Amino acid sequence: MRTTVLRSVQIAMTALIVLGLVCHVQAGETYKLALSLAITGPTSDAGNPYAKGVEDYFKYVNEEKILGDDTIDCTIRDDQYKTDVTKRNFEEFLDMDIVFYLNYSTGSTLALKKDFEEEQMPTIPASFHAGNLVDSNYIFLPIASYSAQAIGLAEYVVKNHQGDTPKVAMFIHPSAFGRGPVEDVEKAIAAGLKMEIVEVVEHGKDLDNTAMLKRLMSKGVQYVICHTVQSPVATVLKDSSRLGLTAKSFGEKEKLTFLGAHYTGGNDLIALAGPASENFFWTTSYTLTSEPGPGTDFQLALAKRFGRDDKAANSHNYTNGIMVAQVATEAIRRAKARGAKVTKESLYEELLMMNGDKAFKLDTTVGPVTYSKTDKMGVDTLQLYSVTSGVFRAVDKPFSPEFVGKI
Amino acid sequence: MAANRWLATGNYFTSYQEEQRIFFTHLDRSVFMVFIALLFLWPYFFTLSNKYMLVIDNILIAMVAILGLNLVTGFAGLISIGHAAFVGVGAYTVASFARVLGDSHVVVTHFWPLLILLAGCTGAVFGAIVGLPALRLKHLYLAIATLSFQMIFTWTINFMRFFDQGQTISVGRVFWFFGKVARKQHYLFWYYVALILVIGIGLMIRNLMRTKYGRCLVAVRDNDRAADAMGMHPGLTKVYAFAVGGFIAGVAGALHAYLYRGVGIESFSLHESITYLAMAIVGGLGTLHGAFWGPVAIKMLDLQVEHLAEVAGEMLPANMNLATALRPLTFGLVIVLFLMFEPRGIANWWRIVRSYTKLWPFRY
Repeated sequence: MRTTVLRSVQIAMTALIVLGLVCHVQAGETYKLALSLAITGPTSDAGNPYAKGVEDYFKYVNEEKILGDDTIDCTIRDDQYKTDVTKRNFEEFLDMDIVFYLNYSTGSTLALKKDFEEEQMPTIPASFHAGNLVDSNYIFLPIASYSAQAIGLAEYVVKNHQGDTPKVAMFIHPSAFGRGPVEDVEKAIAAGLKMEIVEVVEHGKDLDNTAMLKRLMSKGVQYVICHTVQSPVATVLKDSSRLGLTAKSFGEKEKLTFLGAHYTGGNDLIALAGPASENFFWTTSYTLTSEPGPGTDFQLALAKRFGRDDKAANSHNYTNGIMVAQVATEAIRRAKARGAKVTKESLYEELLMMNGDKAFKLDTTVGPVTYSKTDKMGVDTLQLYSVTSGVFRAVDKPFSPEFVGKI
Repeated sequence: MAANRWLATGNYFTSYQEEQRIFFTHLDRSVFMVFIALLFLWPYFFTLSNKYMLVIDNILIAMVAILGLNLVTGFAGLISIGHAAFVGVGAYTVASFARVLGDSHVVVTHFWPLLILLAGCTGAVFGAIVGLPALRLKHLYLAIATLSFQMIFTWTINFMRFFDQGQTISVGRVFWFFGKVARKQHYLFWYYVALILVIGIGLMIRNLMRTKYGRCLVAVRDNDRAADAMGMHPGLTKVYAFAVGGFIAGVAGALHAYLYRGVGIESFSLHESITYLAMAIVGGLGTLHGAFWGPVAIKMLDLQVEHLAEVAGEMLPANMNLATALRPLTFGLVIVLFLMFEPRGIANWWRIVRSYTKLWPFRY
């Protein structure tokens, strides 16, 4: 009797162990990724939907078994737009043995650049600052840099302006983030772009821009290229509209045509500026839900699936978050496909191979993601949009700024 | 003098020198020595993750900075709203060397103790310059003068290309006798450096307050006209208070630069100055202990509110943005509550605990 009981226990335990092992094999691997960004504090209006985009896409990957039995575990931490908190978060992530890192602000990306190098950590920030790529091997911009965007807008002005050399003012954020592209646009002018920068305005927290706008008019300025965040642009647009200075069509004489780079636009600008945002020209590499297509259909379905509100679902920063998550997932998928172990080293290699035939084509952007040792800007093409009847509509086809390669 | 130097339960001073002793009893000295030994030894028994070592290092650096602020505002009674700028002067002294020579130049990586000292001296020079208005101004007017230094500092760094317009200037890893301080040892190494400096500067201030120069600070704070009548020079005393405070702040800035291996303007903003002032108030102005309690309380509160904001951010609707407001609200509330109910700060709780244990088991 006793022997029978013992044998039964032995059989049961062996079965449990075998079952445990089988389950372990079937459960697949979990790849740890991490994102530190401003969910609260400054710029959280952009960080919040961005975080949701990343979170939702990775949930989708796990639920739909895009990576087979393997799953992605992405820890998302709020850094309140503070570099020291980002640094602390990054240290925590390293202790968790992450294989891929998603960062957010320009300041923290620059501050942690050395850490990314030392740790050989492939990193995609939400900042498109060209300076992120200087002396760096492991930072990959998701789309064209702010400089490329500003040059792209300048090229559009030159191509579509009628008359003599167009006179342009640049309305920028009073920081390195704002100033960076000015230098590159000036280099593009030196390289042959026929445009004159009449004035560079570093905005403050002014609630009225009448004097500034009148001054620009007196100097014969016809175009204002903005590179800042949405609220100061909204203030300028409203003031310009109130003074009757805004052009009704692109390049209207003796009026001002406003154009802006990625973080100046989006639905938030329309909400802030209202009807004054009409005819505002904006460039980004992302598809927008106001121009339906397969990418935006997927975005809206994803937002619906995970119960996101309309604001988040239609935000270009939600698209931004989805897109970086798509790139990270694709790198993991490709590493697995070639039989490599998924590590930060193999993912870095996969990103570097993402070019030519292996460029990553996705629907959330207007062009493919291409990376190589010498090209760390993901989507090189830009799409120009303009506000028409309260929504952003595509203007012409996606384009690649020519002068980016000449400076 | 008490008959028993181990268990004195009251004030039995028979000379001024006795009253000025650093440790009143042998027990005080022994407890202090054991406490210091524990601070040095605990990392050998408990391993903390880099994240929490960074938090502790940060607290120690804040302690150094608050020791300087406490000297200016607490002991000398001169309100300084630009303390982060003085810390920034120290940090940017190191950053300047990194910018000119390269972040991995031998001067930056091997002679870092000298650079920390130099950063302190630069802080002292700026402190003395900013302190000059104290010859003519006091109270709110002087506070505005320090505020303007904060503004000028931020503006200068943000606009000068030499300082990379406020973007992070990187600083290389330092070397010690065992070679390069690698990532694994980085936070522990700077823990010991910061700890030694906290203890050293703490003892320095304790000793300063026993000298005539220290007593001058308190005299000028309490009544500068009376101090003048007693033969002290209130103006020079204020300038030297700013210089010493600037020196200590400069040292804290250099530590910050080396700990984070980079210097960016956002760590030295007006907001940081206000945070330093809050640390000094919560800790207890005009007390040495306050400089230790304040940073611990505020940094730990910050960490907890951060977790709370994260949870709140997930639970509350994003458009309410309450989580964003949680941190400044809590921060402001803590300062107001301390000013209302415990203006002498946490140091006063420490004093009460000490008095109680000193008299125990007697009630008086």
